Amino acid sequence: MDLTREILDFLYREAELLDEGRYREWLDLLTEDILYQVPVRLTRERLPQGGYSGISEQMFHLDEDRTSLEMRVARLETGFAWAEDPPSRLRHFVTNVRIGEPRNTPLGEEVGVRSYILVFRSRWDQPDFTFLSAERHDVLRKQDGSWKLARRLVILDHSTLPTHNLSFFL
Amino acid sequence: MPRSKVTGGSSRLDALLEELATGLEQGLVPAGIFNDPEIFEREKEKIFSRSWIFLAHTSEIPSPGDYVLRYILDNAFIVVRGEDGQVRAFLDMCRHRGMRVCRAEAGNASHFRCPFHGWTYRNDGTLVGVPAEREAFGEGFSKEDWGLLPIPKLEEFDGLLFGNLSPDAPSLKEWLGDASWYLELVTKRSPAGLEVLGPPQRFVVNTDWKLALETFISDSYHTLMTHRSLIELGIAPRDAKYAMYGEQIHIPGKGHGTMVVGGPPGAKLPPFWGYPEEMMERAKTSYPTQTHWEVAKETRILLITLFPNFSLHNPIRRPDHLYPKPVPMLTFRVWHPLGPGRIEVISWGLVEKDAPEWFKEKARHSYMRFFGSSGTFEQDDTEIWSHVTRNAGSTLGRRVLFNYQMGRNVAPDPNWPGPGVAYPINFTDENLRNFYRRYLELMRD
Repeated sequence: MDLTREILDFLYREAELLDEGRYREWLDLLTEDILYQVPVRLTRERLPQGGYSGISEQMFHLDEDRTSLEMRVARLETGFAWAEDPPSRLRHFVTNVRIGEPRNTPLGEEVGVRSYILVFRSRWDQPDFTFLSAERHDVLRKQDGSWKLARRLVILDHSTLPTHNLSFFL
Repeated sequence: MPRSKVTGGSSRLDALLEELATGLEQGLVPAGIFNDPEIFEREKEKIFSRSWIFLAHTSEIPSPGDYVLRYILDNAFIVVRGEDGQVRAFLDMCRHRGMRVCRAEAGNASHFRCPFHGWTYRNDGTLVGVPAEREAFGEGFSKEDWGLLPIPKLEEFDGLLFGNLSPDAPSLKEWLGDASWYLELVTKRSPAGLEVLGPPQRFVVNTDWKLALETFISDSYHTLMTHRSLIELGIAPRDAKYAMYGEQIHIPGKGHGTMVVGGPPGAKLPPFWGYPEEMMERAKTSYPTQTHWEVAKETRILLITLFPNFSLHNPIRRPDHLYPKPVPMLTFRVWHPLGPGRIEVISWGLVEKDAPEWFKEKARHSYMRFFGSSGTFEQDDTEIWSHVTRNAGSTLGRRVLFNYQMGRNVAPDPNWPGPGVAYPINFTDENLRNFYRRYLELMRD
């Protein structure tokens, strides 16, 4: 199959699992050495060479490995995770997908993928909602014939988060 | 269900405060104080315009020129270390026409140049450049008279920088009173002091600053239900009464409160929060008194809340559900008021400067996974506070009286070695009754 089609299928499948709250299945899309990071973003001056400014290298909203992601998912399954029970209504809009050149690494074939996301969130019976906007820098790795997420860096378009918690994944 | 007698009308605010005053000693607090525009307006004037408010930790601005932008109410302040090494704070407002001279949240600058007309200030606040000064302003103009306005008061306690909008405020030392003894349990564990693990996380919660603070000044009782998910995962202890053991201490007349939690008798927990051996050894000689050490070595969870809106949480905690050893974490937070029933949480992670590198990394993870924006503890707190706040603003709900009667029959502990008034159990609202006494004193002043 065409690489572009494979990657788009992966990202859309992932969004489907996240929006439907099927987190156990979502974990199956991640490699054992997954590194998942959402850095704190600060308002800083424009970088002379352009690019995104103010991405902290020290502090994150989420800085997760396989174990901690499994902990977060196991928490959601306890029946006592009030922040997401009842669950938020989420919609991950994935656009502007750009796929790099695949390369062979000791761990397998890998490809860099960038995408934009707009995540809609509404809770309870309230008519209002929040949006989170971001760019994702992913590395996908082919394992046993299917792509898995090995790295994700989420560059938020927010300094102060407009929502009361990050109880879901981006 | 106890009901408030408060009705509508222009005296609603005073009636609410009167009701808080009459009910407090019986443990009755009107829900209306948690989501009311008039209460919030008075809090701005009577509480936040004359209390010491946490701005920054000195480790955020270690070098000359380093600055961070911070707020007291809606006032923006540049907290900056000058070329002389001294830390100052200035209202971020050009003296000419009021433009912000610093719009970045953090950075390093020798000067701040206003983008409106180009007035330029040195990082010690002095106005040093005015375009076409002679031609435009003539002979009588003196730049010395037009420096950035310094915050009325700025003081430091062991690296913690506090500001005060009132020039008549008592000193920070006097404001803290005996709470400083408990702060030292954290700030004087090592001669090197603390450092931030990075910039703070900031996020908005539709809740009242007092509701957020209550959790951190007195409420160990909520752990067993609010944080039940973590109990299920084996991260929080299964014994529902676990958080009950330990002392709850308040500082009379000041509003501050602390919880020093040890653990049930016989619990197999490492001493001194589970900090690495070398940090424990350092603390023994670094603490100002032997009593500090005696208390610290038995402590596994420490919470301190300083009136009005600063909280510190320092619990023993495993960094995930599989990691075999406990790793304590430390967070500072400001419950920054944005409006009635609305706050911004500003949440820092910190660690001892001279802690081993492996430990710093574990402490960072432990903080991020349990507290702050995505914290598996805190995300359930913010959910619950949001609903309480909505109810407290509803037409019927705001007239309901909340129950603050927990622990009213418990006598103070005469054997507690630290200062303040201590109670030998944490399932009590004593710290809150003390907090609201101080709150009332200022609100009705």
